Amino acid sequence: MVDMAVKASDISAESPRARTQRRNDLLFRGATLFFALLVLTLLGGVIISLIHGALPALKAFGFGFVTTEIWNPVTEKFGALAPIYGTLVTSAIAMLVGVPVSFGIAIFLTELCPAWAKRPIGIAVELLAGIPSIIYGIWGLFVFAPFLQRTVQPFLINTLGTIPGIGAWFKGPPYGIGVLTAGLILAIMILPFITSITRDVFETMPAMLRESAYGLGATTWEVVRDITIPYTRVGLVGGVMLGLGRALGETMAVTFVIGNSHRIASSLLAPGTTISAAIANEFTEAVGDTYTSSLIALGLVLFVITFIVLSLAKLMLVRMNRKAGT
Amino acid sequence: MAITDTSPPGTNFAMGRYKRRKIGNTITMGLAVGAAVFGLLWLVWILAVLLINGISAINLGLFTQMTPPPGSTGGLLNAIFGSIVMTVLGMVIGTPIGIMAGTYMAEYGKGTKLAEVTRFINDILLSAPSIIVGLFIYTIVVVPMGHFSAWAGSISLAVLVIPVVVRTTEDMLNLVPGSLREAAAALGAPRWKVIVQVTYRAARSGIMTGVLLAVARISGETAPLLFTALNNQFWSVNMNAPMANLPVTIFQFALSPYEDWQRLAWGGSLLITVAILALNIGARMLASIGTKKGQ
Amino acid sequence: MTALSMTAEQSQAALATDGDMREKISVRNLNFYYGGFHALRNINLPLFDKRVTAFIGPSGCGKSTLLRILNRIYDLYPNQRAEGEVLLDGENLLSPKQDLNLLRARVGMVFQKPTPFPMSIYDNVAYGIRLYEKLSRADMDVRVEEALRKTALWTEVKDKLRQSGLSLSGGQQQRLCIARAVAVRPAVLLLDEPTSALDPISTSKIEELVDELKPDYCIAIVTHNMQQAARVSDFTAFMYLGELVEYGATDTIFTAPKEEKTEQYITGRFG
Repeated sequence: MVDMAVKASDISAESPRARTQRRNDLLFRGATLFFALLVLTLLGGVIISLIHGALPALKAFGFGFVTTEIWNPVTEKFGALAPIYGTLVTSAIAMLVGVPVSFGIAIFLTELCPAWAKRPIGIAVELLAGIPSIIYGIWGLFVFAPFLQRTVQPFLINTLGTIPGIGAWFKGPPYGIGVLTAGLILAIMILPFITSITRDVFETMPAMLRESAYGLGATTWEVVRDITIPYTRVGLVGGVMLGLGRALGETMAVTFVIGNSHRIASSLLAPGTTISAAIANEFTEAVGDTYTSSLIALGLVLFVITFIVLSLAKLMLVRMNRKAGT
Repeated sequence: MAITDTSPPGTNFAMGRYKRRKIGNTITMGLAVGAAVFGLLWLVWILAVLLINGISAINLGLFTQMTPPPGSTGGLLNAIFGSIVMTVLGMVIGTPIGIMAGTYMAEYGKGTKLAEVTRFINDILLSAPSIIVGLFIYTIVVVPMGHFSAWAGSISLAVLVIPVVVRTTEDMLNLVPGSLREAAAALGAPRWKVIVQVTYRAARSGIMTGVLLAVARISGETAPLLFTALNNQFWSVNMNAPMANLPVTIFQFALSPYEDWQRLAWGGSLLITVAILALNIGARMLASIGTKKGQ
Repeated sequence: MTALSMTAEQSQAALATDGDMREKISVRNLNFYYGGFHALRNINLPLFDKRVTAFIGPSGCGKSTLLRILNRIYDLYPNQRAEGEVLLDGENLLSPKQDLNLLRARVGMVFQKPTPFPMSIYDNVAYGIRLYEKLSRADMDVRVEEALRKTALWTEVKDKLRQSGLSLSGGQQQRLCIARAVAVRPAVLLLDEPTSALDPISTSKIEELVDELKPDYCIAIVTHNMQQAARVSDFTAFMYLGELVEYGATDTIFTAPKEEKTEQYITGRFG
């Protein structure tokens, strides 16, 4: 009994041992809080450092920076219009090709795929997501671009290129590399991302709702079109936006195959550049503060665009999860 | 009940309409199968090209010799070494930060505004373009130091590691049942001991999965190294100097006009891809072991 | 096991006073498997047209499984398979040649929880009709109204047909789902614990509804509520551990069950 009493007093609030524990607890809690705040400051730091670095260029060119096409390191005149245009157009191509295909794969995986193939195909899709972008780049440069140059591009020039209006997009010599090639590689790169989000989102659909649509005699396509997609709409848009965020910021794969020309060409087959490709290509070679600052300003523009897109994507996905949770 | 139509129950199908619906279904489902084949096709194509070009470039010299000047033989030893050093350092810096921040969000700050905002910001960082991270580290590390360095490269990789680890740590800790924590706390264990000795242990394989995925993510990253670690033609162990690394070497060699450089680029690409796929598969296996144990 | 072998003729004889009884569905030697698990064993029973048949039994006994075979909704899931015969108007619906969409249009189903589609009240009801019939706007309006009137929902929703089906209360949603199933004009209506998520008032409304729908359909209802089975059904099947223990007229089952197991369940000794 005496023994017990001693032990009990040992862990009472006033004992030195309990005080040590309380102190340790506070220390640990403080440390975790500190690092959580560090994550917050990280984003703040990115924004501030980009603005700071971009200031000289923004001061020199003002708002004209984002509306002019000239990019001349010799005369130190810089305008971001061509890379902004390239970024938007390559991403648009990527979404145009990538989103329907991703939805198709997700529909296949949730509605059609035999049980034994679900896992292997799911893993394959995720491996595709794991391949680093530089591999897509080197493959694009040595294999995909020449392939397009030999086959797809001449075909496009001879068919779509002759149509008035949109024909302008498919004119000129087949270089292989160019805006279209970059867009297509981006499409392949965002496939696995959008596919896996779409599949996850489809799977939030209550089984009973799906069954009641089939129970009325609807076909698989009708169930997907009329019930699944409307029901998961918000999540789907979130997933697509997340893919868009990837496409906008993707660097290496694009740098290899876009041709790096600061010109806005009417043809999608012509070389162009994107924000990230311009930075990757020119940053280490940039001489002079204005040049460096202009490249950082490009980075700022990219950051603002992706921040907006990613925030919207996040908000949509959060909204969907709330709905699924209730 | 005023039922206007008293026709007996049963269906008066318009058969033509039904046939059209079935054809529409067959077409769209055919397209979905086509999409899946199309998606897998790229994976097979890319991996096949990589294997064919990469294997012919792989020999002992690749692992024992330095990157050569154009026109002479050489290997990728300095680049492989540099990549390993910076990846390891990036992990060493980033992992504890990520785990601690994730711990705050899942344990102490659960449900608070701060945790919610941090999660949002963290998810933005997770998907933010990696080249932006490169620019960030350039302005806060390279410019003050006055030169490119392996430190700068490691730090920029660490910045990429943090959001991945934060995310998985938070998710995995949230999966640990509250009853386990309560049981430990009921024994009188202080909160931090509960977390370190019980919660972490229960979530260990999940957190490890996240760490492996983070390694996979950064070991192929090129953009953030371009203007932080730069590259180095020579063997260097100096953390304060530019350091060779595989991704940037591949980038430079692939875009060069020299055939032996291009071959080395293929060899390096195969190495990186095999390493990353192995990490991904390892992470997946670890995760499935973890869930099996959890059940 | 004696009750199990009771034939359609015998049960028909038990209710010989009803002249117009027709066997709509005949389940014969039905076995069902979830992967390797043998969930239903050798089930035989009839379902009569214009009658309500209730399936009762403790959870996991296979009553919902049996219902899910009748419109082959289990077919959505790999690894689930049925053996034996289920004849709908003499046609084996388990046959691999059976067109599932057409079958499901003839056999409507309502689930444990309301499942309104993410569309307006009007479109919820019109959805199934549109799948199979091309109707003018006016005809469609008539059909939608008819279905909503049948389910006693018309007066409650006629002014907000364009609102989302999700804006209704739980009981209204469930009646909307019944209206949606009825609108297609099926021959058979399957109700899988339709009131399990509803309050008592909504429950009694649904029960009244079942009574009113009876003259037009062959209705099968799964319920865990024995009073409900006694109130709404003409025939009752008691199932236990994947077997049909006893089938017969509801009055007989609840007042003079032949099997000891049935009596134990009905008197609440297990369940």
